Amino acid sequence: MEIPYIVTPRKDTGLFNSKIAIWLFLASEVMLFGGFFSAYVFLRIGADYPWPERTLPVLPGLINTFILIGSSVTVVFAWASLKMRQWRRFQFFMTVTIACAAIFMVLKGLEYNVKFHHQAVRLPDYTVIEGHLGYEKEKGKEVLDHHGRKIEENRILIEASGLTFSTVRFHTPWVEELLSQAAHRNAKITLAEDVSAITREGQAVGILAKAGEPLSPALLERLQEAHLEARSHNGALRTAALREKWTAAKAENPGKRGWQIASGVNIDATALEPKLLTEIGTVAFKVDPPARMNFKPRDVREGDTQSRLRDDTVIDGKLLASPMVFHNVDAIDFRHLAMKAVEKGQDPMAAIENSWLINNHAFAREAWEWNKAEVAKLEKTLIATYKVDPKTGKPNREPTAKERYRIGWKEFAKKAEDAGRPKLGFWGRISEEFKGPNYAARGEETFPHLSLPREQIGFSSKFTPAWNTYYAIYFTITGLHGLHVIGGALVLAYYLFFGRKMYESNPEWLANRVEIGGLFWHFVDLVWIFAFPIFYLM
Amino acid sequence: MAETPDAIRKSIRTYLFVGAVLFIGTVVTVMVATVPWLDVGNHGFDAWDAVLGLAIATTKASLVAAVFMHLNHEKKAVYWLFGSGIVFVTALFGLTALAKSDPIHDSRFYGKESVTPAPLASPTLR
Repeated sequence: MEIPYIVTPRKDTGLFNSKIAIWLFLASEVMLFGGFFSAYVFLRIGADYPWPERTLPVLPGLINTFILIGSSVTVVFAWASLKMRQWRRFQFFMTVTIACAAIFMVLKGLEYNVKFHHQAVRLPDYTVIEGHLGYEKEKGKEVLDHHGRKIEENRILIEASGLTFSTVRFHTPWVEELLSQAAHRNAKITLAEDVSAITREGQAVGILAKAGEPLSPALLERLQEAHLEARSHNGALRTAALREKWTAAKAENPGKRGWQIASGVNIDATALEPKLLTEIGTVAFKVDPPARMNFKPRDVREGDTQSRLRDDTVIDGKLLASPMVFHNVDAIDFRHLAMKAVEKGQDPMAAIENSWLINNHAFAREAWEWNKAEVAKLEKTLIATYKVDPKTGKPNREPTAKERYRIGWKEFAKKAEDAGRPKLGFWGRISEEFKGPNYAARGEETFPHLSLPREQIGFSSKFTPAWNTYYAIYFTITGLHGLHVIGGALVLAYYLFFGRKMYESNPEWLANRVEIGGLFWHFVDLVWIFAFPIFYLM
Repeated sequence: MAETPDAIRKSIRTYLFVGAVLFIGTVVTVMVATVPWLDVGNHGFDAWDAVLGLAIATTKASLVAAVFMHLNHEKKAVYWLFGSGIVFVTALFGLTALAKSDPIHDSRFYGKESVTPAPLASPTLR
């Protein structure tokens, strides 16, 4: 069957059909991205924390903008080449377009990767510390977790001596995780005592599992099965007994309502007792010898001697000091603290001077003093350039909150260089724009070590949507845009690699297809034209 | 619409020109945001920087739409389709303005007239 109006225009619209279709689609896309951009505005206006303005590295974003604009030009050229029936030129320009898409995604991947390996923590006084997280080195070596991986996340450490599982709620992957942690510490998790139960009505108590039997998901599943069977058996018995009582009570009290006789309807528990099976709600294991285990903060509610996982597993054992250890601190941000102080009517500078970090860590005080001096220099320059308003006596231009209250990695680097640390070369600095601060080259003198006690951890996260609404909307919009880049590139690649046959039989049709794909590609570029200044420059 | 090969050959220079303008526009956007003496409004980011940045972005986007996407000489149907999308998005952005008058920041919302309303947290501290 011939598809109508794919080469020649329809009379009523004056367009070939696929063009109408792509514009309908683009209209819906405008509304989709428009929705997210308006969400951005909404979140920014309503943010109850200092919005991280101009926080992303500009250079990768700028290069990506150039790449997308360039690819928009080449995709037009590819279409024009087809119109002029120049296949080789079409191939060339389309290849360049797709290569641009690939470079764009690689740069985006680098940018995301830096965020996923960078940690931030908010202290109870709203100081924010950023950096590279890890654990204290033991004998000069990184502490590895039970999978042999470096620990780069905030963890709760417990010296576990006993584990009590809920037979209904235990989460198998976590059981396996606990087993693997114990194995890593050469500890065994075994059943604390015999699990004995009546599993058949009228039978004697039998032993389901013997003390000393090792923990395994299979064992827990077996106990779970027995427990659920007992529960449904007992439940059925109780229901039947209750129904019998109700029938009798209703016969004895004709004309009375249910609520009037309810208090007299009771099951005879002792009569039922011999028929019941044993329910095994929980089952206790011991860890021998007691082993240090680590848990993600979101999975555990920790206590001094007893903690509980989200699947109701109770961990007996001492809560160890679980500090959050930054191998390298690369930013101290007092903006949130200052904002809270202003809201309370306090002096932000005094609040910062009184903060826990400044008073407990010399490097923080040193960095703060250095930054104050830098801000003072900047204030002088601004007054010299833009003068003071004669009416109010205030300077026309003042340093921003970011300059005043945030000591970012570039400030830390500058401070160290001012103090005589060797400077990085041109390419070293360019590489930092893409990969974040180079801890190895700049050393601990630049990005100091910090061990943060547990009680000072208010909230911590990597730079993911969990950290704040800025990163949530950033990942939503740029992620969705990235998916569009991939989708568009796939369609264009299809025309490039599988278009030859159509080019030979019906070149105009292929040209129209490329025009449609190109329209989508321009739209992707158009979204980025807005996303770039909004996320990188504002 | 540039349909004939001849017309397309002629428009190639336009495409190159627009491409160059887009590149320059991008450089200008970055410069007004990073070079201190090109900073409009107050020092650092503020509303004027947002207005200027978005104005440049809108100009660039209009160029892409008009020339690369051929909206400068399209059929009526396309204008209707795309235009309606734009209308809805504009309305949506209008809705965010309601956030400014959110009654949650008004103490009378809770029936306590004496309490002073909490100030709306400002995105930047000065």
